[in-house]
Amino acid sequence: MFKILKSLSKSLGGSKPAAEAKSTAKEGSLLDKVNKSAPATANVEPPKSPEDLCGITPKMPKEEIKAQLKMLFRRYNRSASSLDAKLRGEADQMLDAIVQMREKHFGEI
Amino acid sequence: MAEYVGIDLGTTLSGLAYLKPDGNPEIVPNADGERLTHSVVFFDSHEDVKLVGSAARDGGEPDRTIFQIKRFMDDPEHLVEIDGKKWTPAEISALILSKLKRDCSKICGDITEVVITVPANFNELARKSTIAAAEMAGMKVKRLVNEPTAAAVYYAHSQGVKGRILVFDLGGGTLDTTILDVEGDNIKILTSEGARHLGGSNFDDILLNAYEEQYKKQTGAALYSDERHRRRVLQATEDAKKMLSKLQRVNDTVANDQNSGIARIDLSRDHFEKLIRHMLTRTIFLVEQALDSAKLKTSDIDHVVLVGGSTRIPKVKSMLEKMFGKVPKSCGNVDECVALGAALFAKKSSRIQEVCNASYGTLAMVYNAKTKEEKLMNSIVIPKNTPIPCSRTQVYQTSEDNERVIEVDITQGEDEDAKFVDVIGRLTLDVPPNRPKGCEVAVTFSYDENQRVRALVVDKQSGRSKEVAVTYKGAGVLSEEELKRRSQHLRAMRIE
Repeated sequence: MFKILKSLSKSLGGSKPAAEAKSTAKEGSLLDKVNKSAPATANVEPPKSPEDLCGITPKMPKEEIKAQLKMLFRRYNRSASSLDAKLRGEADQMLDAIVQMREKHFGEI
Repeated sequence: MAEYVGIDLGTTLSGLAYLKPDGNPEIVPNADGERLTHSVVFFDSHEDVKLVGSAARDGGEPDRTIFQIKRFMDDPEHLVEIDGKKWTPAEISALILSKLKRDCSKICGDITEVVITVPANFNELARKSTIAAAEMAGMKVKRLVNEPTAAAVYYAHSQGVKGRILVFDLGGGTLDTTILDVEGDNIKILTSEGARHLGGSNFDDILLNAYEEQYKKQTGAALYSDERHRRRVLQATEDAKKMLSKLQRVNDTVANDQNSGIARIDLSRDHFEKLIRHMLTRTIFLVEQALDSAKLKTSDIDHVVLVGGSTRIPKVKSMLEKMFGKVPKSCGNVDECVALGAALFAKKSSRIQEVCNASYGTLAMVYNAKTKEEKLMNSIVIPKNTPIPCSRTQVYQTSEDNERVIEVDITQGEDEDAKFVDVIGRLTLDVPPNRPKGCEVAVTFSYDENQRVRALVVDKQSGRSKEVAVTYKGAGVLSEEELKRRSQHLRAMRIE
């Protein structure tokens, strides 16, 4: 497995200061391009139902749902303290959906 | 002089403790006679004075009163404007710390060096802002320590326990869950997980909505029309929440400021617990995350310890009891144990093994030879939960022929998906011309005891290298020069 260094500014062909790196990502950077090909959870066109937001399908086994919800919680709980305000906003919506899915499939606490 | 001092700079309450000569920590009251100081600042319009504490909370005008500034310590753009002057979150926090320092030093002696507690999930910027706040208040930060770690240190000291402890710290604004091993005076942190904006003030907001609904239903009018009245009702909801931890049912009467009549609010504990159920489910997710991170099961935990005012809510205790099959313990006053633990930590820090609170890495195109796939990923150099201080190196290759500048983005976050991590800095290194792609570059990250990260990049072929500490930019981040200037200004202020 090779690991090739790839900075955001290099991908864009220009040099950006560190503090601007995140806003670069918002304006159509390499990260955005990657995100558009990413599955279910990416912020392309937010689907409406909690199932869609969490990528839960009707025939998904319980163990798989549990693992998916745990992965999403870890991801979006971290995103809730991101330096990116847009991602922070998205995280709140996702955390609500994750909780709803848990209650639906595993019962209330 | 007080040699070992700990400060809990909380979202809603702050406290200072020092270590007595007998080795036991003690809370030092402020000049108003309160053991804990409300983390609220009021900028008076008539006199050149800043009020901090309960006087600021109870009497001030809302648009001149700053609540819960801790929630913005990680926001590089957040500013508070009063009378045309812009205040950073670090400066507001410095006013709270100044009040603690000035008041408490009259009792315990001069305070020059302190340990300050921070939530486990505080990011790099929030930690730097906390250190800057202390410096402006005239105190050197000996160490930052995570709040649940401090609480666990106090719990282990006061109860004399050993074994594996899970600390559940649900405060005014954040939840932290830490798992640690205790053997005598030696403490080893296994993992810390935190959740932002999950605490008592979120429960108050939910109750406020319930009050609004009931008032509207009974009178047909809105419960409040301005921030001043909203604050008053919010205070009433906080009181009701506290009562519901002791009683099954609470009755209250409220009126708006438009003479629309009085409404009787009827609340049961059961209803309150239903209202906050979604938030509590999030807390369970976080506990499970901590267990997963430490590769432990609930049966591996010997003690569950409750910290923070919101753990007084009976449902919190019962859900943890159900989860772990044992009654959670409290380490005395759940509001004070973080400050008390911080004072102990000031003396015992060398016997406490902490871990890295986040993963640090860089962005890289990762090529998988098996699948022939190439993907931009967050390539982690220091994984979360690595014992600190630590240093780790990862070797990468350059991507293009004749590359003249090597750029390394410094990321914070454990997600492999680059979208879900923060780029907190960048390091650039000039390298000689006419080299093919594929030259090896060693990237070393080091993480110190105050959870601050540095990056070193070495071009293996030329031997050239560059090292940087992460620095942040933004309207709410002070430069070194500005920090010094504002420190002098702040020390001359009247703070009551």
